[in-house]
Amino acid sequence: MGNQGGFRLRQEVRGSVRRAGSAVSADECDDVALLRAVARGDEESLAVLYDRHAGWLTIRLTRRCANPDVVDHAVQDTFLAVWREAGSYRGGGDVAAFIWGIGVRRLIDAIRKENGARRRPPWHAEDPQVVVSAEDQVLLGIEHGQLGQALAGLSPELRGAIEATVLDGLTCAEAAVLLGVAEGTVKSRCHRARAALRTALADPLGTPDGMPPRREAWGTP
Amino acid sequence: MMSQLPAAPGPAGGPAGHAEAELLASYAAGTAGTVAAWSVEAHLTACEPCRTALSERVDPERLARNRSVLLVRAALGDGGRTMRLLRRCGIPDHLLRLLAATPSLRKSWLLSVLGVLAVLAAEAAAVSPGWTPARVLAGLPRLQHPQILIPFLLVAPLLVLAGVAAAFLPRLDPAYQLTVAAPFSGFTLLLVRAVSALAAALALVVAAAFILPGPGWLPAALLLPSLAVCGLALAAASVMEARAAAIAAGTLWVLPVLLLAGRHLPLAIVHWRAQSACAAVLCICAFVLLMRRDRFELGWTR
Amino acid sequence: MTVELRTAAVSADGLCRRYGTIRALDDIDVTLERGITGLLGPNGAGKTTLLSILATVSEPDAGRVSAFGLDPRIAAERVAIRRRLGYLPQELGYHRHFTVAGFLDYMAILKEITDRRRRAGEVARVLAAVGLEARARTRIRALSGGMRQRLGIAQALLGNPELLILDEPTAGLDPEQRLRFRELLSDLPGNPVIVLSTHQADDIAAICPYVVVLLQGRVRFTGTPASLAATAAGRVWVADQRDTRARLSWRGSDNRWRHVGEQPPAGAETVPPTVEDGYLMLSDPAGTW
Repeated sequence: MGNQGGFRLRQEVRGSVRRAGSAVSADECDDVALLRAVARGDEESLAVLYDRHAGWLTIRLTRRCANPDVVDHAVQDTFLAVWREAGSYRGGGDVAAFIWGIGVRRLIDAIRKENGARRRPPWHAEDPQVVVSAEDQVLLGIEHGQLGQALAGLSPELRGAIEATVLDGLTCAEAAVLLGVAEGTVKSRCHRARAALRTALADPLGTPDGMPPRREAWGTP
Repeated sequence: MMSQLPAAPGPAGGPAGHAEAELLASYAAGTAGTVAAWSVEAHLTACEPCRTALSERVDPERLARNRSVLLVRAALGDGGRTMRLLRRCGIPDHLLRLLAATPSLRKSWLLSVLGVLAVLAAEAAAVSPGWTPARVLAGLPRLQHPQILIPFLLVAPLLVLAGVAAAFLPRLDPAYQLTVAAPFSGFTLLLVRAVSALAAALALVVAAAFILPGPGWLPAALLLPSLAVCGLALAAASVMEARAAAIAAGTLWVLPVLLLAGRHLPLAIVHWRAQSACAAVLCICAFVLLMRRDRFELGWTR
Repeated sequence: MTVELRTAAVSADGLCRRYGTIRALDDIDVTLERGITGLLGPNGAGKTTLLSILATVSEPDAGRVSAFGLDPRIAAERVAIRRRLGYLPQELGYHRHFTVAGFLDYMAILKEITDRRRRAGEVARVLAAVGLEARARTRIRALSGGMRQRLGIAQALLGNPELLILDEPTAGLDPEQRLRFRELLSDLPGNPVIVLSTHQADDIAAICPYVVVLLQGRVRFTGTPASLAATAAGRVWVADQRDTRARLSWRGSDNRWRHVGEQPPAGAETVPPTVEDGYLMLSDPAGTW
């Protein structure tokens, strides 16, 4: 309710964008302060937030949807939502995570609008020839260890399902829109993925760090 | 959820500083493996320098384009609660935005209409003793002197007419020349504005009718005459000049009311015979309007 | 300059328009090609009337207009012309409660750009072109005269029109803004037909490859600015003293008197004429303010 009032106040602002009392230049503020300024209706802070976050957001969204127009729409909608809902940021967690949470949902909406319910969205599937490279294994192997190899051993479809539901925290319905499949398919893929991970972790076939992973086993879509 | 994944490598992690940059580069290019990408993403949330480094890999023109569109959309706003509601009802956004230019939908106009109605109501209240809105709403016996309703009957449909006329009088559109020179259909523009002005004014008038000391069917009975008067004005505007059309339609309402009031039958104007006459007039005018809709294409008159 | 045989993009034949007894336009023939055409003339010469007829806003009493092969007397073709039109009238009124972005958004809708995102993109583009991005949320009633003029130019640019009609676009702009306006016109994509009317002869000289001079409702000159200046060749001279035989004289910045007149005295020190001199020679010899 407080933010609603703030938003209406923004609309009634007459005159130029500059607000009295903004002594500190927006550039120097940290993200939380910027977000608070945006909640008060300061457009310059929105622009600075955009400059800081739009780049990585674009790349991260492109990983989930290859259509650049859809990603552009999602990025615009994300920061519009930040403009409107900055007051709902409760201070828990990074601003980047807050923006990502909005961003991925706006991407879902943009994909929905783009496709209706019929066509498959251009899912940014991995090139099947690319496996987790040896160098990457070296970099991450120490941290990821068994889990990393087990994950790498999944087929792209199963990994995509895990990424959408676990990493991005989407519901099955939202993941279904993102992946361009039916909701039931998402659920069954998650199920199979978890089963495969359990098997891989319980029976470690993984070789010592530094060795290339096993050949990918493609699951049927 | 995120705790299921191991912690991402910190900025100082990795065997050599530049490997981090390579990983970022491959992530930006989309060639990083899924698991590598996940660890980068988990790391991004916490590390600002890496976010900045990543941002530099996006086409700056694309970022600038989205930035300017974003700022324009933020500047435009979404019009407020009413507009959001109407949008959700399925009305296209571009038609809603056209309403913003309608003078008879602005707060100042609507407040003036409310003011006039308040004056009429006060006048009626002063003349009929013992009347309060509470008594009227409770359905208590009301009508002592039909004559007190004459000002209201006279003025109420004229208020609605004024709202609709404001929608199509060229003098009230400051950017009239631009409106003419634009390809948007003059008839559509007129309809959008007229219908919304009509709805707004009618709502106020009917609401006022509810609390006046009149017969119970007064609010409903005002609908058709108001619609008929506005229909007359619009249809006439396709034949004659806009202001003349509005004045003619208003006169065609005022004369019968005064006539019947002179014959001590003021409420006959809202009687069923008059209602059917209004309905007939409305149908004819709607037909004429549709037939002559090309004439509303502004500017070129011949 | 290569000689090309081509049909004019926009042409007017025999246009006449009267307001009561005043003949605003008297048998006007005008041809407009792609590129910038300047319309030069004093107040009351008929420039605004001509431009509003070309913009399909008013109707001539007689004569024909043809724009891109379309005839504005036919309703459907009139709408087709308007789809390719951008118009800045001389006295533009604004809905004063509108914000800058809101007004441009409204005009974009009138130009049939129905998609919200495309509209926002167009509005952003024209705002950047006229330098008003920082003022997107300012109400129009809070703008200065020059900013309002730029807003008017911006709305004319919406939708990338093929026919751009600008009536006194530089009125109220300071010198730097007039220069930026020249840059803006040079940067327009698609090589549209641009016609702009002005009092400023130096604007004409700077950017218009083609100029039409209107005086008292009649076309008095069509051609390049250089040839307009050349009509005053040999009739502009300087002297140390004022010469009363000249039509017009003033003391220049070098403290010498500059004269423009029909008959320079023998042995007078003639100087190269400017576009203004040529224009002056076309106007009424007995004229005053």
